[in-house]
Amino acid sequence: MRRKTMTGNLLAKAVALMASVAMAVTVSGCASISSTSGEAEGTIKVGLLHSMTGSMAISEQAVLDAEKLAISEINASGGVLGCQVAYQEEDGASDPATFATKAEKLIDQDGISTVFGCWTSSSRKAVKSIFEDYDALLFYPVQYEGMEASGNIVYTGAAPNQQIVPAVEYLIDQGYTKFFLLGSDYVFPRTANMIINAQVKAAGLEVVGEEYADMTQTDFAAIIAKIEEAQPDVIVNTLNGTGNVSFFKQMAEKNYTSDTYMTMSFSIAEEEVSTIGADILKGHMVSWNYYQTTDTPENEAFVSAYKKAYGDTRVTSDPAEAAYDAVYLWKAACEKAGSFEVDKVIAAIESGDISYKAPEGTVTITGSNHHLAKPVRIGAVGEDGLIYEVYATDSPVEPDPYLETYDWAVSAGIKPLE
Amino acid sequence: MRRLKGNHICFTVIAVMLACSPFLVGSSSMVQFLGKCMCYSIVAIALDLIWGYTGMLSLGHGIYFCLGGYAMAMYLRLRDNGGALTDFMQTGGLTKLPFFWKPFLSFPLAMLLVILVPGVLAAVIGYFVFRSRIKGVYFSIITQALTWAAYSLFIANSKYTGGNNGITDFTSVFGSTRGVANRGHLTAMFFVALAALVLVYLLASWLVNSKFGKLLIAIRDGENRTFFSGYCVNQYKNFIYTLSAVLAGIGGALFVNFNGSITPSQMTIAYSITMVVWVAVGGRGTVIGAVIGAFFINLCEYNLSSGALAGIWQYIVGAIFGVTILFFKGGIVGIVKEQIPALFARLQSAPAAEKEKKEAA
Amino acid sequence: MAEIANTLFNGLSLGSIYLLVALGLSVTFGLMGIINMAHGEFVMIGAYMAYVMQQIFAALFGRSGSLYYIAAIPFAFAVTFLLGCIMERTLVTRLYGRKMDSLLATWGISLILQQAARSIFGSQGVNVNAPDFLKSGIQIGGCTFSYNRIFIICMVAACLGAVWFLMNKSSFGAQMRATMQNRAMAQCMGINTKKVDCLTFALGSGLAGVAGCSVALLGSVDSTVGQSYIVYSFMTVVLGGVGNLLGTVLGAMIIGFSSIIVEAYQSASIARAIVLFMIIVFLQFRPRGLFTIRSRSLDE
Repeated sequence: MRRKTMTGNLLAKAVALMASVAMAVTVSGCASISSTSGEAEGTIKVGLLHSMTGSMAISEQAVLDAEKLAISEINASGGVLGCQVAYQEEDGASDPATFATKAEKLIDQDGISTVFGCWTSSSRKAVKSIFEDYDALLFYPVQYEGMEASGNIVYTGAAPNQQIVPAVEYLIDQGYTKFFLLGSDYVFPRTANMIINAQVKAAGLEVVGEEYADMTQTDFAAIIAKIEEAQPDVIVNTLNGTGNVSFFKQMAEKNYTSDTYMTMSFSIAEEEVSTIGADILKGHMVSWNYYQTTDTPENEAFVSAYKKAYGDTRVTSDPAEAAYDAVYLWKAACEKAGSFEVDKVIAAIESGDISYKAPEGTVTITGSNHHLAKPVRIGAVGEDGLIYEVYATDSPVEPDPYLETYDWAVSAGIKPLE
Repeated sequence: MRRLKGNHICFTVIAVMLACSPFLVGSSSMVQFLGKCMCYSIVAIALDLIWGYTGMLSLGHGIYFCLGGYAMAMYLRLRDNGGALTDFMQTGGLTKLPFFWKPFLSFPLAMLLVILVPGVLAAVIGYFVFRSRIKGVYFSIITQALTWAAYSLFIANSKYTGGNNGITDFTSVFGSTRGVANRGHLTAMFFVALAALVLVYLLASWLVNSKFGKLLIAIRDGENRTFFSGYCVNQYKNFIYTLSAVLAGIGGALFVNFNGSITPSQMTIAYSITMVVWVAVGGRGTVIGAVIGAFFINLCEYNLSSGALAGIWQYIVGAIFGVTILFFKGGIVGIVKEQIPALFARLQSAPAAEKEKKEAA
Repeated sequence: MAEIANTLFNGLSLGSIYLLVALGLSVTFGLMGIINMAHGEFVMIGAYMAYVMQQIFAALFGRSGSLYYIAAIPFAFAVTFLLGCIMERTLVTRLYGRKMDSLLATWGISLILQQAARSIFGSQGVNVNAPDFLKSGIQIGGCTFSYNRIFIICMVAACLGAVWFLMNKSSFGAQMRATMQNRAMAQCMGINTKKVDCLTFALGSGLAGVAGCSVALLGSVDSTVGQSYIVYSFMTVVLGGVGNLLGTVLGAMIIGFSSIIVEAYQSASIARAIVLFMIIVFLQFRPRGLFTIRSRSLDE
């Protein structure tokens, strides 16, 4: 009998304890609300929202590192508007729902109005409406499939007409006629291939095959067999992440080099070259806006700072550079606006005067669609694992996320109706 | 009876605290998050019914969560864009709305489908799986494979499902729930979810304490004996599996209202196992345990997986889980109910025993 | 003709990869009844060990060369064998007879191991170069048979032979089978069942390490590599019939061949869904897999 009462008491105590813990968690959550408005004494806080765990951590780490590098450089040179920049990191855990939760936490609970983050389109789409509803600002640093121009996002990676379209144009100019489209099974490759299909057909050439690999695919034997059967002269490759490693290693196994099947890749940067192996990728083409070998004084400084901060074995890549630019562009926008307030910063961005002498060359935010005007570079992988430019545009290309200025794209109805 | 009451008191405290939170908590993101946690709790209860009580470990409840979520999201998406073609359909080359999207133009039909789609799928799967007497770990492995297959199908048919971007760009049933201006919507949505959680809790508590519930436990502890006692075990199992799927679907449908998007990430194997973690840590075989576990793990993750802790959080969650399974089978509830009283009893009896010893000497 | 040969070879090689990964699982799951969700992570460790060996060779001799790979295989086996031993002693030993709990607890371990890999080797993948003698392949008629795939097929045959010999011809195998069939009786006969348990589990883990070395040459080596294989390897074991070596071989080959054949006509994601669904339907008719040990016991 005595025991039972005791159990009862204990249970009551436990309930009380749990309640207080839960309350404490809740309250500690909102306590920060009253105190922080993102601008404590002399510091401005920004958010960094990337996957530090899960399958996307492989890619997003480099971007995160570049953002931190830019922030520490800015702080060393006096900060933004006299404020030091502090940052809060959140882990999106490679899950769009977590990205959404964390984005809301950063903006609403921690009072941070500017966030640098996301890599995958699915994570960006999951947080897009949050940034719009709270009127906050997201800097998105990765090339993507376009068809989007949110007023609350600045896209510092390439729009399709700054990566995909010029690359295919280049291939057509080089005399390739039979295209094979290979991608991972997700939205970027599917949209990219829709665009490429329209572009190739408009040029009167032929797409001889279109295949999608599963995101976690490890065996490409069946896909390689399909490529052998289709006999293309170039493979337009939109595989992402680990798929690239498996695909190229297994192509190499069958003695296929860039001489047998040339590939043009959109997701292989210096990081990926080092995990696949330069001997395998030698001669294959890629399309980006920036390479580690890009010859500008700004890039020299960027590469040496990056290596100094993270080790000599690390390489810089286009997404990392775009993320690095994003921080500096934000700084420029704040300085023009004379304020950290989102409305004023967005107004400054939309003035179209925000530009930055980036490692890739001068980039300017186009006011109407929040993308960057940036140079396009086609590169080929060299024996040392670096990518060397084989073609570059003379001047920065204006972004056109909906491909409205291309007749073939308009007649193919690529811009979404919605 | 005493044990039971403790559970209910605990749940009442949680429910009252939750009911106050929209008024006490200033940040709407926190309220939003508590709303999501309630949806997770509903799924956790659903999982607890089949795992904690009936002994069937499903590693694929993400499917049902997602199906409910997608059904709701399809309705909300169409409502918000006026029934037009979505962007992903257009990218996929569709020119008119696919036939199975059409029912989602109407709210009552969509609500019906939130329940029917997971329910019917679970009933069919359950019928075949239980008929061929697949049980124990085999059941777990099969549900895992099914989840993977379903995930692949959702990814591959991106023109119908939005692929791995899922369905985005919609607001809740009441309209946007974000920001100060929409606080009313958020509160309304929050109370809908709370009402659902309370109802699900009551239903589950009533069920497990009824004769039916005793039978579930009997099946868990000795399936063949129950069978030979003249009960049609398969039908019971199928019923509870279907009910569990429906509850998970409801949880998913509520979840998208808070989250504003749904992607196939919620139906991966990893996510399905995460749901099991909630139940295991909270305490399997008690309805309250599922609720506590879902809140505990998610609140911890919310506050701990940022900054430098992000990496460490993986170690913590792995360790918590391993230790719980190894040493604290009853989870948090088990610790409170058994381990702590046992510890106290030992502490109290130890001096007494010593005294006795001395006296004897 | 060339096409058929190519398809057959691809199916055989994919089946071999699945078999190599599932072989360790068929020991731990099939014989011991432990559902080791961290098996995939042992494969990952094996793959990382190949990388470590490559770096060691590169540091010692200036370049990694080809020999590193020969050294990497026993090294990966040893490391994962040891880790398996530790894991059995600390964790698994408390989980005998609790199959479902073993599944969950080892999943916790798999999370920890993945994060550990990220902490040690960084989030980004690492590159394991194919040794020179495995680069390229032989061309017969219209198809190319890569040395690497042939090597994997040989390796799986060797592992299979070794496991078969160990289980059926050696005295340790007899002890192992005795322990697994009737623990109490085995103890009475003077068998140190604890030691047998430990070594059996370690053997299963070690085989995963060997599989990791092969996997490292086929794709990315990063913290998520194990996850890509784990479901298929469980399906392999279940399809073949738990506790039966021949069943596992057949299971792996069925999955390998059907994946390749279905994928020739369908996209990869659809193909995966179809293959998994086919297996599930098949298990409707033979819930215990292809080969079952007949038993009158109702509760297993």
